[in-house]
Amino acid sequence: MMIAAVLLFMLQMKVPDAASFVGQPKGAPVVGAELDRRTHEVGSLVRCPVCQGMSVADSPSEMAVNMKGQVRELLARGYTEEQILEYFELSYGQFVLLRPKFEGVTAAIWLLPIVALIAGVAITFVMLKRLGRKPVAEPKSKPVSEPASDPYLARVRELAGGKS
Amino acid sequence: MIAALGRILILGSLLAAAAGALLGFASARTRSFDGLRWARRMAYVYAALIMGAALLMEYALLTHDFSVAYVAQVGSRSVPVWVTIVSLWSSLEGSLLFWGFVLGAYIAIAVWFTRGLYAEYQPAAIGVWLSCATFFSFLLAGPANPFGTVVNPPLDGPGPNPLLQNHALMAVHPPFLYLGYVGMTIPFGFACAALMKGKLGHDILKPLRESLLLPWVFQSMAIMLGGWWAYEVLGWGGYWAWDPVENASLLPWLTATAALHSLMVVERRGILKGWTVTLIQATFLLVILGTFMTRSGVFNSVHSFTQSAIGPTLLVFLAAALLFTVALLSFRIDRLESEGRIEGVATREAMFVINNLVFVLLTFTVLIGTVFPLIVEAVSGKQMSVGRPYFDSMVVPAGVALLFILGIGPALPWGRSTREQMRKALLPPLIGAALLVAIGLLAGVRNAWTLVTLAFGGYAAWVTIVQIGRGHILRGRRRFASYIVHAAVIVVLIAVAVSSSMRETTELHFTSGQTQRASGYDVKFLGVFQQQEAHRSSLIGRFSVSRDGKEVTLLEPRMNQYEMMREPIGTPDVYTTARGDFYMSLSNIDPATQTASITVYSSPLIVWIWIAVIVMALGALFGLRPKKVVAVRDAKAAVPVGSAPEPA
Amino acid sequence: MNRTVLTIGVIITAIIVGLLFLGLGKNPNEIRSPLIGRPAPSFALREAGTGRTVDVAQFRGKPVVINFWATWCGPCWEEHPVLVAGARRHPEVQFVGVVFQDTEDKILGFLEQRGVSYPTVVDDRGKTAIAYGVAGVPETFFLDANGAIVAKYSGPLNAADLEQELRKGVR
Repeated sequence: MMIAAVLLFMLQMKVPDAASFVGQPKGAPVVGAELDRRTHEVGSLVRCPVCQGMSVADSPSEMAVNMKGQVRELLARGYTEEQILEYFELSYGQFVLLRPKFEGVTAAIWLLPIVALIAGVAITFVMLKRLGRKPVAEPKSKPVSEPASDPYLARVRELAGGKS
Repeated sequence: MIAALGRILILGSLLAAAAGALLGFASARTRSFDGLRWARRMAYVYAALIMGAALLMEYALLTHDFSVAYVAQVGSRSVPVWVTIVSLWSSLEGSLLFWGFVLGAYIAIAVWFTRGLYAEYQPAAIGVWLSCATFFSFLLAGPANPFGTVVNPPLDGPGPNPLLQNHALMAVHPPFLYLGYVGMTIPFGFACAALMKGKLGHDILKPLRESLLLPWVFQSMAIMLGGWWAYEVLGWGGYWAWDPVENASLLPWLTATAALHSLMVVERRGILKGWTVTLIQATFLLVILGTFMTRSGVFNSVHSFTQSAIGPTLLVFLAAALLFTVALLSFRIDRLESEGRIEGVATREAMFVINNLVFVLLTFTVLIGTVFPLIVEAVSGKQMSVGRPYFDSMVVPAGVALLFILGIGPALPWGRSTREQMRKALLPPLIGAALLVAIGLLAGVRNAWTLVTLAFGGYAAWVTIVQIGRGHILRGRRRFASYIVHAAVIVVLIAVAVSSSMRETTELHFTSGQTQRASGYDVKFLGVFQQQEAHRSSLIGRFSVSRDGKEVTLLEPRMNQYEMMREPIGTPDVYTTARGDFYMSLSNIDPATQTASITVYSSPLIVWIWIAVIVMALGALFGLRPKKVVAVRDAKAAVPVGSAPEPA
Repeated sequence: MNRTVLTIGVIITAIIVGLLFLGLGKNPNEIRSPLIGRPAPSFALREAGTGRTVDVAQFRGKPVVINFWATWCGPCWEEHPVLVAGARRHPEVQFVGVVFQDTEDKILGFLEQRGVSYPTVVDDRGKTAIAYGVAGVPETFFLDANGAIVAKYSGPLNAADLEQELRKGVR
């Protein structure tokens, strides 16, 4: 009886639905162990807004658990990863995406390391070439010895071995 | 009374440091011996005063003297003694006091061990060290004063943050961290001195190397302990989240490792001097950046101390240090003369250069990823995140590249080699590669990156084992130590790869008495138990874990409710074996209905990560035998100061 | 003097120091809402105590104030009387409270102590909060008569801010 009453209440309830944000599901519903796996995967891409930087898949806080539940429900209904991420992005902003989108200003974060890699390899190549040339100065392979006449160093040496 | 005494000690340390710094720089300029002597004395005085202040605070904490502001802030009568000791560094002001303590110790030791030696570099180095000391004492005297007086001292305090009381590793991780990071001030001083002197001779290489290596060992341990702590305490089954402050601790380690390697090229060939000095200075600057990130409140992080006034002050110091370094480098780097050459790409020297390239690229990528949200917000006003998925995709290829060089680098001989030599060096280890890949495939590894890691790792392991087997301990401690370190790194990289890609996650819901299966183990839920302690109350889920019918362990993950915090904090429980970890974390627990929900993470080979880093640290320490004895003997014999014996 | 080193060094210094300096002025825990200017997500939830369903769509035509809160949240305790008074003072504006991560008895107890002048509904597993991009409590959303979100406040509202925002909304 209680359950029926609760169900009846719930039928009248309406929470904001993902459909109003991102439309109908574009993929196939996911079930079983696959659903668990995908929930963890997609949850790892969504940032828990109240924890410092953790994903909703990893965070134990109630907010994260709710969001992870949302991810699971949307996957079960057949929403794709893109749609789910878009849904969260529409409510929370890009802040909630742990993997930066490749568009606009944020594309830079993906490109910069590649640019650095190319630049780094080029510079290394040039440097190796340059270091391949004979040095200009006489190679000092022996340890450096200062002129024994330096009074400052002589004094330091004199007091070596204990006195400050 | 203690508060007043503490203030005096800190102000004294500030004066001593400032005086000593001025004397150091002045005597570098004028080559005055008396100046140097007094600078050294001031260094010792600074050390004594600041260490005294820290010990005094520890005393105040242990005697629960709540008239001292910091004690009123973090002290408590109801926490265990070890927590009280540890609360010295649990909050901002105390942690700076601890920083001072470690800095004082390092400076005193550095001054002691360089007495009578490196006379050309000493004064300037002391000047630099004591300038840093002045800044930190200034912080303690002004914006971050832990010795304030509390007018109506309370009878008890809140205790340190509960998250920090959850695990004994809290006692260990921060000291290692400070020993590692603060210690980088010393090589920074030597590097600056070399630049100011306008030369990087053979004589200064030993102190540079040793003063870089010792903190490096602590850094490595600190990073590992932080990861291990996160793993044992936070409950999400992972040990590295690419949190901004975690990244901040990694950056100086990366440049320090690069510097250690390029220093070897300086030793062997007398080249890359300017580059090495730059790396050492970058290490120190990244340490300051890291401490800024932790304490300024600019970054959203698990580690952040609460926002405080010292953010701007630290930024000013960082800016000053940056400008000083840039100026010094611009004006002096060309004076560091190259003495040798690199004979080609297929040489060990060239491999060191490539090693540096990879480390620098890694540093750049991690740094950029960490500050990128700030950049975007400054440029476009949008808020965005750069999280684990990004860092993982960037760092994994870099790690694999490093493993590759770990293999062919030590395999190649120094200098040019013939085709035949190269073939003999580079081909046999392929057997090791094939072996490890075969083992991996048999064990069920299918992930592409992990297989590549196993291939390069097997190759590198073969190279390293062969080198160790050739009896190199007889040929010198340093080389043997480096092979131990490399072997350990190989183990770490393989363990990280395998434990991440082969991890199994299972979510289970239990009612009392129920048994379920996860990752080859049978888990039986024995019930919910409650425990009440002075500072927290806990709900514990007791689980019996069996394999093949025999019980192997009892796991008790828990939910702790601390008095001070709203949300309970969960503590996982882990069953660790050499083969892998069975890690259990509570997501839900209800004593009324005797039900519990858990998440189980089964990861192979995780324990080897911690073990290998400890081996790495010990190996490095082994190679750090003080050669002071030899040097002092030579000095006394009136041989030119600074003739370092050939690296053994 | 090495020009290359100087140039690179100055650029790096300027970028890093500049960025961090800008960062100092901001609070990294404050997340701005992308929903501003967009239609508010619609919901119909059960009211605490009475059990009847309150549908936010039925308030179209009036400005609406939606306040997310919970009984365990200290600032919500402070803020509640401000909202109760505001609702009484502005009958042309519809106030709605949404509670999530809480239990009915605690909610009713809270309301008894702090006052009631508008309906309080219970969210289902935080879904409404998620749709609104709620990161913490209390958070308050101001909707205009057409059902579009015009402002979002994180943290407790004081009477002055509430008045100011309401005056803006009554166009």
